[in-house]
Amino acid sequence: MITSLFWIVPISALMALLFAWIFYKGMIVQEQGTDRMKEIAAYVSEGAMAYLKRQYTVVGKVFIILVILLSILAYMGIQNPFVPIAFLTGGVFSGLCGFLGMKTATAASNRTAWAASKSLNKGLQVALRSGAVMGLVVVGFGLLDIAIWFILLNKAIFTPEHMANGLHFLGLTFVSAGTDEHQKFIEITATMLTFGMGASTQALFARVGGGIFTKAADVGADLVGKVEAGIPEDDPRNPATIADNVGDNVGDVAGMGADLYESYAGSILATAALGAALPVFAEGDQIKAIIAPMMVSAIGILLSIVGVYMVRTKEDATPKALLRALLLGTGGSSALILVVLAGMAALDWITWGVFGAAVSGLVAGVIIGQATEYYTSDGNPPTQGIAKQSQQGPATVIIEGMAVGMYSTWIPVITIVAGIIAAYGFAGGFHNFAMGVYGIGFASVGMLSTLGVTLATDAFGPIADNAGGNAEMSNLPAEVRERTDALDGLGNTTAATGKGFAIGSAALTALALMAAYIEEIKMWLTRLADKAPEGYKQIGDTLFYHNTVPAVHDGQVAVNLSSATIKDFVAAYDLSVFNPILLGGIFIGAMMAFLFCAMSMKAVGRAAGKMVDEVRRQFREIPGIMEGTGKPEYAKCVEISTKGAQSEMLVPSLMAIAVPTLVGLIFGVPGVIGLLAGGMSTGFVLASMLNNAGGAWDNAKKYVERGHYGGKKSECHKATVVGDTVGDPFKDTSGPALNILIKLMSMVAVVLAGLTVAWSLF
Amino acid sequence: MSKYIYLTCNPEALVASMLPPESFGLYLSTGTKKRNKSQTIFFEIDLSRIEKLIDMDSLDKRCVVKSDGSPKSSVYLSVYRVLEMIPNEALKSLYLTTDHGIVLELKKVSYDKGKEQQNALHLYQELCPVNPLVASSLAPSVFLKKLTDGSSPIVLPRLFFVELKLGDLATNPLAGSAEHLPYPNIGHLRDCLEIIRGEYEKHMKTVHRIFTGELLYRTIDSGFYVGSNDDLVFYPYPRMNELERVNYNFFRAI
Repeated sequence: MITSLFWIVPISALMALLFAWIFYKGMIVQEQGTDRMKEIAAYVSEGAMAYLKRQYTVVGKVFIILVILLSILAYMGIQNPFVPIAFLTGGVFSGLCGFLGMKTATAASNRTAWAASKSLNKGLQVALRSGAVMGLVVVGFGLLDIAIWFILLNKAIFTPEHMANGLHFLGLTFVSAGTDEHQKFIEITATMLTFGMGASTQALFARVGGGIFTKAADVGADLVGKVEAGIPEDDPRNPATIADNVGDNVGDVAGMGADLYESYAGSILATAALGAALPVFAEGDQIKAIIAPMMVSAIGILLSIVGVYMVRTKEDATPKALLRALLLGTGGSSALILVVLAGMAALDWITWGVFGAAVSGLVAGVIIGQATEYYTSDGNPPTQGIAKQSQQGPATVIIEGMAVGMYSTWIPVITIVAGIIAAYGFAGGFHNFAMGVYGIGFASVGMLSTLGVTLATDAFGPIADNAGGNAEMSNLPAEVRERTDALDGLGNTTAATGKGFAIGSAALTALALMAAYIEEIKMWLTRLADKAPEGYKQIGDTLFYHNTVPAVHDGQVAVNLSSATIKDFVAAYDLSVFNPILLGGIFIGAMMAFLFCAMSMKAVGRAAGKMVDEVRRQFREIPGIMEGTGKPEYAKCVEISTKGAQSEMLVPSLMAIAVPTLVGLIFGVPGVIGLLAGGMSTGFVLASMLNNAGGAWDNAKKYVERGHYGGKKSECHKATVVGDTVGDPFKDTSGPALNILIKLMSMVAVVLAGLTVAWSLF
Repeated sequence: MSKYIYLTCNPEALVASMLPPESFGLYLSTGTKKRNKSQTIFFEIDLSRIEKLIDMDSLDKRCVVKSDGSPKSSVYLSVYRVLEMIPNEALKSLYLTTDHGIVLELKKVSYDKGKEQQNALHLYQELCPVNPLVASSLAPSVFLKKLTDGSSPIVLPRLFFVELKLGDLATNPLAGSAEHLPYPNIGHLRDCLEIIRGEYEKHMKTVHRIFTGELLYRTIDSGFYVGSNDDLVFYPYPRMNELERVNYNFFRAI
């Protein structure tokens, strides 16, 4: 019964991909508009694909090196032999999501603009369903990868025969002889968890590279095109305008998709791993706990598809009515998932406590999204306050924006703290640690269960933005631009909710991964104890054993790994803030967040400098470029942004992999736990601050442009433009990439747990 | 090709062109090579009303299609003290352009002095022939008359000006909310308004002597005024929601 119900997971994943295909087909048959519209769309599409090709080439090389290193570790017996392959599949599926999402988004821009020329609602439908392709591809491939691995490991690798006699291939041990049923699922979920590292690595490259690309293009287009040459936004005479449009897709579609793919898969896998480690009281409990997060996500996919269809309005709908329709889609799906979760609790599939934990996650996601909206929307006092400060000049705009960004962190932090405590308390009753952390994992699963529709509304934003750019460059009538502007505005609002879910889920997932890290440590201690001639692994004064009870001396304690609790590990590794190694790790983790931001911001500056030079060259050397008779070399700008992004993304991205590895090797488990705690807490707060400050500066400028404090060209406007320029890398490069940094560091720690346990200096 | 006559404000000039108003506005703002950017404000002039004022032969000879077949963009017919020569009857629509050459047409309407707000302060940006920013306790028609009827030592033959927003300061210069205004030095503006409110004999106070040639279009209040004495022509400026409806491109660009 239980395993039969599991089939809903791959079926839902395939359903997601089927509907993604249906939505794609529905979009691709739409009219493409005028020849000019097709030409512009082709430039953007070619640029986006050229970027992806180069990105995947660079990332592919990094992946090959990492796979070789992981394989070497596997041969040395300190790495799970499945990891190199699992790592690759995670990266490949994540990359595939980015590719398909970009292909759809770039094809949708001119079609959305043309549909908007008929009515606002038609434009909305094309943009939303194109966004839904991204949403459903992410959840579809995410869950499909999980399902395939689970079926493969459960049915083909961990067979009764292999578990009894072991499975050895090419000198590697895939299944240890004598593995029991309980250990089997711990091994399976721990193995699956490692595919998240592939997804995380791919996501970080996509986010950092995308963030650098988009801002380099944006700055080049603005500084030279708008300020120096004096031509408006999205003017086809600007050589960087196509790169700017490509950047919207690279950053907001591929980057956001890879980010949430990683969170989605990571949350399910971490929760499954924590579920596998729960104490078993009755037959079937363990498998239920493993499959439950997958089931919830599977049903969430079906509800997401329903949610996409729920977004309907009248042909003459106002922007407010459109927003209501979108919220009905996302809110309706979330409400329905609660009903499903309650049903699962009633059927005793999950406890009511876990139901409470999932509700906590969903509520936390909504609150963080609303807080983001409050602090960044120009209808509210914080952003209006920044605009007001523009009367004193750019310095006070910067001060106020920084203050708003810092101030805005309190709601997400309190919310996530409350969400964590509530999830822990609901699921574990404040006394059962294992159940409590499982609840925290479930909170992130609940938050991301309807990611299909949430991401659809998020990807809708850049599609609408590009549709506006296409309409502008194609000289479509003003009423079309008016409608695409309305869709763009709608996208900005839904993006705030998306960001809330992205940062909230990142924190919860990272916490669940941290808990899963302890389970990995436990698993590796078991393996190393089994391999050790003395039959145990000594950590401090604790002798961890598996099969043979060791003799203990004065002050030593022997702990059986089969029944070891978290308290045993905490005591053995001295996981307390009074341990200077752990405290040092916290500081390093906090520093990582800042160092990473600094590197990505400086990277934007360097890449933007090259773009500025190129745009200036084209304005200088191409005859007739300003009259519109000379054609700008759009591809050159795309190439420069691409090259800049690729060369600049490597160091910060590799740092995110190298530092947890080195900290693990030097400072061991306490150092890693400190690193993760410091990185997670600082990264979460810093990301909230950067995202919200950047968003608030951007909207303060728009507020002034709408006529407040003198409107465009006023001194106040100039001051807010400075704020917006400072905020651009905050909100589009460093802030979003921090989400992935904190998850990737956790993933690297999990994957390299064996290395840490076996070789650490301390 | 048709010929058009325009009165530009900066520089004050009478210009003939073969370009219709939208194209002429784009040309004035961005230039032939499109490397320029500047706001422009100009009237279209009814040629039949000023035939006696200009050399029609010269106009016919100079304002002709170029050798490559393209229309002549501009032929300057007169510069300096042009506004004073043009009667109000010759003024057709008024055109405002953005930096990038997007044009808004304002049509003239008959002005109802009875609807003028009493006991309120005003902020006027004079545009032609002189261009200081002036605070005044006088309603537009009275302000125009005061400066053009010869009753004061400073007299102008004709005047073209625009009324800008004062918000709460129009009725409460010292304590009123001073946000969203066209002049950034609020303390100075309050001082100027307080002077004209407090001194019975003083109805005007220069706020700023230098006009950069750039109007903040979103801070325009009632609209544009041109004329002398009691002969006043009014070009009302649309409210923002109306502007968004009638000329979205212009609304979006300002």
